[in-house]
Amino acid sequence: MTNTQIPAVRPPQPATPPAPAPRTAARDRGSRLLATLFLAPTIVGIVVFTVVPIIGSVVLSLFHWNVIDEPSFAGAANYGEVFTDSTVLVSFRNTLVFMVFAVALQLVVALVLALAVNGRMPVWLRSVFRSAFFFPLVLSAASISVVMKYLFNQDFGVVNWVLGLVGVAPVPWLTSENAAMATVILVYVWQQFGFSFLLFVGGLNNIPKEIHEAASLDGATGLRKHLNVTLPLLSPTLLVASVVGIINALQVFEQPYVLTNGGPGDATRTVVMVIYESAFEQLRFGEASAVGVLLFVLIMAVTALQFRLSRRFVHYQ
Amino acid sequence: MTDSLTRRTLLRYGAYGAGAAALAGTAASWDRLTGADIPGRDDGSLVVATLGPAYGPEAVRTLTEGFKEVHPDIKLRINAVQAVDWSDFFAKILTQIAAGTAPDLVYVATEGVQLFAQRLGVPLDDWVKRDAGELREYFSDVHPSLVESMMYEGSLYQLPVEFNAADMYLNNQVLKRAGADFPAADWTRDDFTGLLRDMKKSSGSQFTPYFWTNRLWGGVVPWLFANDTNLLSESKAPGGGWLWDSFYPAAARQGRGGGFRWTTPQATDARVEEAYDYLASLIQEGLCTRPEGGNGQNLIGVFSTGRVGVTPAGGFWAGGLHLAGMKADGFDVQYFPRWRTQRMQYGAAGYALLRTSKRQEEAWEFIKYAARKDTLTRLFETNQTTPARRSMLTADRYRETGPNHWQVFYDTLDKFPNTGPIPAPPQVAEVEQVLLKHTGTALASRRSVAPALRRMQSDLEKAMERDV
Repeated sequence: MTNTQIPAVRPPQPATPPAPAPRTAARDRGSRLLATLFLAPTIVGIVVFTVVPIIGSVVLSLFHWNVIDEPSFAGAANYGEVFTDSTVLVSFRNTLVFMVFAVALQLVVALVLALAVNGRMPVWLRSVFRSAFFFPLVLSAASISVVMKYLFNQDFGVVNWVLGLVGVAPVPWLTSENAAMATVILVYVWQQFGFSFLLFVGGLNNIPKEIHEAASLDGATGLRKHLNVTLPLLSPTLLVASVVGIINALQVFEQPYVLTNGGPGDATRTVVMVIYESAFEQLRFGEASAVGVLLFVLIMAVTALQFRLSRRFVHYQ
Repeated sequence: MTDSLTRRTLLRYGAYGAGAAALAGTAASWDRLTGADIPGRDDGSLVVATLGPAYGPEAVRTLTEGFKEVHPDIKLRINAVQAVDWSDFFAKILTQIAAGTAPDLVYVATEGVQLFAQRLGVPLDDWVKRDAGELREYFSDVHPSLVESMMYEGSLYQLPVEFNAADMYLNNQVLKRAGADFPAADWTRDDFTGLLRDMKKSSGSQFTPYFWTNRLWGGVVPWLFANDTNLLSESKAPGGGWLWDSFYPAAARQGRGGGFRWTTPQATDARVEEAYDYLASLIQEGLCTRPEGGNGQNLIGVFSTGRVGVTPAGGFWAGGLHLAGMKADGFDVQYFPRWRTQRMQYGAAGYALLRTSKRQEEAWEFIKYAARKDTLTRLFETNQTTPARRSMLTADRYRETGPNHWQVFYDTLDKFPNTGPIPAPPQVAEVEQVLLKHTGTALASRRSVAPALRRMQSDLEKAMERDV
């Protein structure tokens, strides 16, 4: 280990690296082939079950097809109908309203509960809360909605019965235009917030304790510590939770379908309900596909916007 | 170097393109692959699709084993499709058709008779004429109105095996609590309103006298019929004489035609508005529930426990209430009250033969088998519906389940010859959706009736203009 063994100045290197030995190139090709083989089942799955149906929907949206007769080419006529159909337009408005309130409420509830569960409490109690909050997510949305329909029935539901005990008049939870959407959002959030909750619990556990300790030493307490330390460090998790939440909310179907069947009027009719009704009840598969394509574009646009905005608001450690 | 790479890249993409073109060409030149192309999928059975909830495992076994005894050479497969309602059922059948796995026969209710007849069904006329001798006993036992409801433009598409008219079920315990008598057969709308008020006075706050479900059958439509109007103008198609002349006496074939036609929307008709106004006033007065969509699944519980006094339902409810634990004398049934008329509504069901079937002769044998009295007796022994055969409605059948006035079920047809089917043109899915949607908003208050009906009229016109 003398100086003579390590030159102070490295000798000049050739401008281009020597060509790899043929044996290495063959090994690379083998590795690539192996990687391709490992990826093949996933790629085939994505192509067969995602890419092909998307292309199929786009193609179908250019045809009139009622399942019974041969499809006939319609060009952009289905899109024209979609943009002039008041039910479709209302369903897009409803879906956007639903998305904004449902996702916001879901994230707030999940975050507050995650912070609470992450506080000081016995380990067993923490496990109980985690399981309890996650439990609704593993249940079928349709089954939950059937039960909720009983609970929120204006005349015979338990909710109004309990409210009646304290003198509150029966609330038309599912039969009034104003209350129905709020009820559908409540039921949806109750079932869905468990996913965001789990993400937040994981995210909170990943924040080093030293940072909180340092913030405390600097005088930060309570809400200020959460706003200035916890939230910025949790922003990558918030991004994931909001992206998944928004994609799911834009595709909501089971809860409004079972609880209100889109009513009263069109008050809770969502885009996916319109797709189902157009295709499978009214046999207008072309128009249904056009609505599906528009929803796909909307989801892509919203997701892209989220990622673009995330550059400003998301902080990676 | 760059030139060589470009050439290689070009060659590679050229090869990809050629491969893709070859694949696309091969795919395009093939016939469309369907579910039926899956090896083993088509085992040569006659496939019959029935509504799952109405055909449990026991019913399926009864049908299959009974048919095997009569036709051991025909392999039968009953496909009980699980669905919430008829609309959901038809959606699933159409999905099967789209997938290329269409059944040979589909159990179709009034809601889908004309849709299937127009686009998918095979008229049974030639078979009925051929086997007239065998079918004479069947037609003599079935009310002509039920048969007429299964006709479309002069041809018969189904033999009805069951029906359900919207009659009024009354909870006897609630009647007693209100000190009211069982209503007379010719009771009026005002008698009905008075009864609801009496019931309301004598019961607590957790009680609603009249419950109804917002749907095509048993929702607003019975009130429209009672007020001598309809959602769509109703007329009869010409034809059908071949059937009436062969099977029905002169009195029964009076006024019969080749099936019902429902054409011009009339939601803004003064009598339609009057019917909606009446229901809105009941809601305002707390005598009636606000319309709720669905299949009335939570109704049995609230009726059997006395939280509802009156509700429209068909013969199917006798079995349903019995299963829910209600005693035979706990409830009873009466005709729908008279308003301008006492015309009532019903829905019927039978098996429709699909054009795509390759086993049409075997399918016809099944249709005849399914309409036999012994088959229906075994199939409907729990009173889960009203049999289409008059002779099956007996005191013995209803002794255990009730109701006491079981004769009302068939007399709704026999004593009220103008009783008719729910309006179900080929565009029924959209018509029903429009009806449910605007009924929900129309009944929010009495002031919202007229604007909602105007929107309903506009949407119905659009729906009826569409070619299915």
